[in-house]
Amino acid sequence: MSAASRQRSARIALAALLLAPAMAIIGLGFVAPLMRLAALSVSSPAGPLAAYRELATVDVYRVVLRNTIVLALVVSTASLAIGLALSLALIRLEAGWRSTIFACVVLPLWISVLVRTFSWMLILGSNGPLNRFVMALGIVDHPLPLLFAFPGVAIGMVHVLLPYAVLPIYTALSRIDPALLRASDGLGASRAETFRRVLLPLSARGLATAATFTFLLSLGFFVTPALLGGPSDTTISMLIDSFVNDRLDWPLAAAASMTLLAMALAVIGLAGRFVQVRALSEIR
Amino acid sequence: MTPAGAWTKAFAALLAALIVMPVLAAVPLAFSEQSFLRLPPHDWSLRWWNAFFADPSWLRALLTSLEVAALSCLLSVAAGTSAALGLTRLGPRMRALATGLFLGPMVAPVIVLAVGLYALARAAGLVGSAFGLVLAHTMLALPYVVLNVGVAVAALDPHLALAANGLGAGPWRVFRTITLPSILPGVIGGGVFASVTSFDEVVLAVFLAGPGVKTLPVRIWEEVRVEYTPVVAVAATIMIILAVLGSATGRLATRRAR
Amino acid sequence: MTAVAFRGIAKRFGALEALCPLDLDIASGEFVSFLGPSGSGKSTLLNICAGYVEPTAGALFVAGRDVTALPARRRNIGMVFQNYALFPHLDVFENVAYGLRVRKIAPAQIRRRVEEALGAVRLDGFERRSVLNLSGGQQQRVALARAMAIEPDILLMDEPLGALDKQLRKEVQIEIRRMHVARPRTTLYVTHDQEEALVMSDRIAVMRGGRLVQLGTARELYSRPADSFVARFLGESNLIGGRVAGLRDGRATLGAKGLAAPIEGHAGEGLRLGEAACALIRPEHVRPVAGGQRACVAERIFLGEIVALRLALPGGVELWSRLFSSDAPAGDQIEIGWDRERVSILPETS
Repeated sequence: MSAASRQRSARIALAALLLAPAMAIIGLGFVAPLMRLAALSVSSPAGPLAAYRELATVDVYRVVLRNTIVLALVVSTASLAIGLALSLALIRLEAGWRSTIFACVVLPLWISVLVRTFSWMLILGSNGPLNRFVMALGIVDHPLPLLFAFPGVAIGMVHVLLPYAVLPIYTALSRIDPALLRASDGLGASRAETFRRVLLPLSARGLATAATFTFLLSLGFFVTPALLGGPSDTTISMLIDSFVNDRLDWPLAAAASMTLLAMALAVIGLAGRFVQVRALSEIR
Repeated sequence: MTPAGAWTKAFAALLAALIVMPVLAAVPLAFSEQSFLRLPPHDWSLRWWNAFFADPSWLRALLTSLEVAALSCLLSVAAGTSAALGLTRLGPRMRALATGLFLGPMVAPVIVLAVGLYALARAAGLVGSAFGLVLAHTMLALPYVVLNVGVAVAALDPHLALAANGLGAGPWRVFRTITLPSILPGVIGGGVFASVTSFDEVVLAVFLAGPGVKTLPVRIWEEVRVEYTPVVAVAATIMIILAVLGSATGRLATRRAR
Repeated sequence: MTAVAFRGIAKRFGALEALCPLDLDIASGEFVSFLGPSGSGKSTLLNICAGYVEPTAGALFVAGRDVTALPARRRNIGMVFQNYALFPHLDVFENVAYGLRVRKIAPAQIRRRVEEALGAVRLDGFERRSVLNLSGGQQQRVALARAMAIEPDILLMDEPLGALDKQLRKEVQIEIRRMHVARPRTTLYVTHDQEEALVMSDRIAVMRGGRLVQLGTARELYSRPADSFVARFLGESNLIGGRVAGLRDGRATLGAKGLAAPIEGHAGEGLRLGEAACALIRPEHVRPVAGGQRACVAERIFLGEIVALRLALPGGVELWSRLFSSDAPAGDQIEIGWDRERVSILPETS
């Protein structure tokens, strides 16, 4: 072996050694569980596709699936809209305001989703500060049924999703060269036209990333709908939880998990043409 | 863009408040006198803090959380830094493949990972072991550490390693004296992130928990689904404090780098 | 004593031949510049000498030892990079001391040698400064001190002054020359700037397309360049194309298109009768001569103490002349000539 190729194989050996621990962890903690789930999902005593068939045919499960998707669409759209509005405001703020507000948006990301959801439980209850405030103002004369109902879940989820919506959109907007906007303005375009013809197309990637990420997250929500929702707000993940812990039906649980995973992969795959998955990493 | 006017500022401030305030709702409750869940509380006292620290199950949960966080931080930082350095030595195609693999845990829904790990743990007889949970949290934090450190490594001037090498330093010495100090902010940032992620994490902890291994979020989860007292708010407040500390440390570390 | 010897050193990157087999001897304490355009292979040669690149063929000897397979960190070389490569998290002292610490030298000794090195580059008192706050010229001198502190067998410099502005570059060039004269160290210096090479070197190696075209002192390269490329690379030149009309006893004549009489001059290596060649006449040797070749002054450029004249000769030939202002004749029509001893007939290499 020549010296050059000896050097090259030494390099590859070193790279392999450096990557080994991380690969082992990923293998054990990520690949292996997924493979086990795949195996379990076809291990039903009633036949390999029995679990999937049950999921597809039983009414209750189909309703849950539909509800999950509808909920995900609603909350991700809402957070995108609010996120876009906030990002547009942010890039126009001066440095001091900008960094303060930005810090406020980012702070919740460091706090557990359980704590955030628990906080909403405290706020939205019939005796909670929101209802007391609204009743005191005379807007309504009985407490709003926010908790353990759709509004509560929606509010909670949008609140969790907002930072994930703001970050990619804000990043994309802040990368736009302000000279481009000035140029458009100088060429006679109105504010609305500049927004539509320059700002929006240039920030399309950021919007796509935000949309993908928020939708993806909403599909998989567990804690928030479980604590804030009522019986008709069951999501797929809650269903999976009940399969595992209440019914102890592993093939069904595994099949439902694989279905959810497939949905997530479909979203990524579809968006993959517009979105850099790398960008997701910038969200911290 | 036109600078923000008063309306825009008000709008932004309102939204910022709506984002931050709800998060902190649990804090006042932790200082309540009553056992009702009334926000804001009628009277203030530290009784629930005393209750928390007098209760061995809460204390053990806190301790477990800290242990698991510390261990998964160490593991993910060590494995992640090593992996980031290994990635630089790969050709572009292999590197893209490996990076794609690392991003897996970031895109898969957590419940799927939790159920899968639980199934695996049952098969291996490791249910309720700290090992399983530490592994799970390490796996969750790993992609972020790899990407974070990867960015720092990519920013390194390659001539520095050459210069150190020419002056006689071997590869380990070059890493220890030149590479590591330069990427330290990225490593620390990754480590802080890993710790806070582990400390905050709910779903994996709930599924992999056992009688001896219950993190603080697991205790809160159990309490909150039935009748609960403001002691839960104390636990939530502690989590908020630690998370804010973590965030501040993380930003300090990356700012010192500039 | 030969400090560095290249024997058949060659380097190939895939299909690209970056360095053709090359033999070169450098004496101990000698300052050799490697001069050439980008892609000439000079940086590759330097990196092979340093040990960062392995040659595809040939052997390298330092102080008589075969170091071809020796890794860089065991070669005791001092390398100065174009972008300085100072360790940003260490102060000036620790940067300079780095190589000494690796060699486990005693702290008292380290302190002494670092101070000595900093003194040599005239940065006394800078020990505790952060390298990030230094100017480009200061950073470069720290890099130099770091390379010298380890008492290297060879000093290698890869276009170290490339990032400095012109004025600063001239100052540092003179500094480096002064340091070399005070303490001669075997030095290999890579540059594309011919003036730099002329200022600092004992010998210059002109490189092109991976080949060593000519090796010699500045004077040798200037007055007797090996071919038209070297002639063009160093100093101003007039190159008149034509064919070799006569060749004898080290003298040649060139039949140039557009000139009535053939040009006579010193014969360069590799000339062949009838082949294309060119005559090199340096502008300072084209002088006014009574009764000489008639020429029309097409352009007169004032350069301070020198005047440059662009002369158009009948037949379409153009020559530049450089004269002291006091020697330059007035008028548009002048008569010029040159000393045959100052002319070189060179093989044409385009």
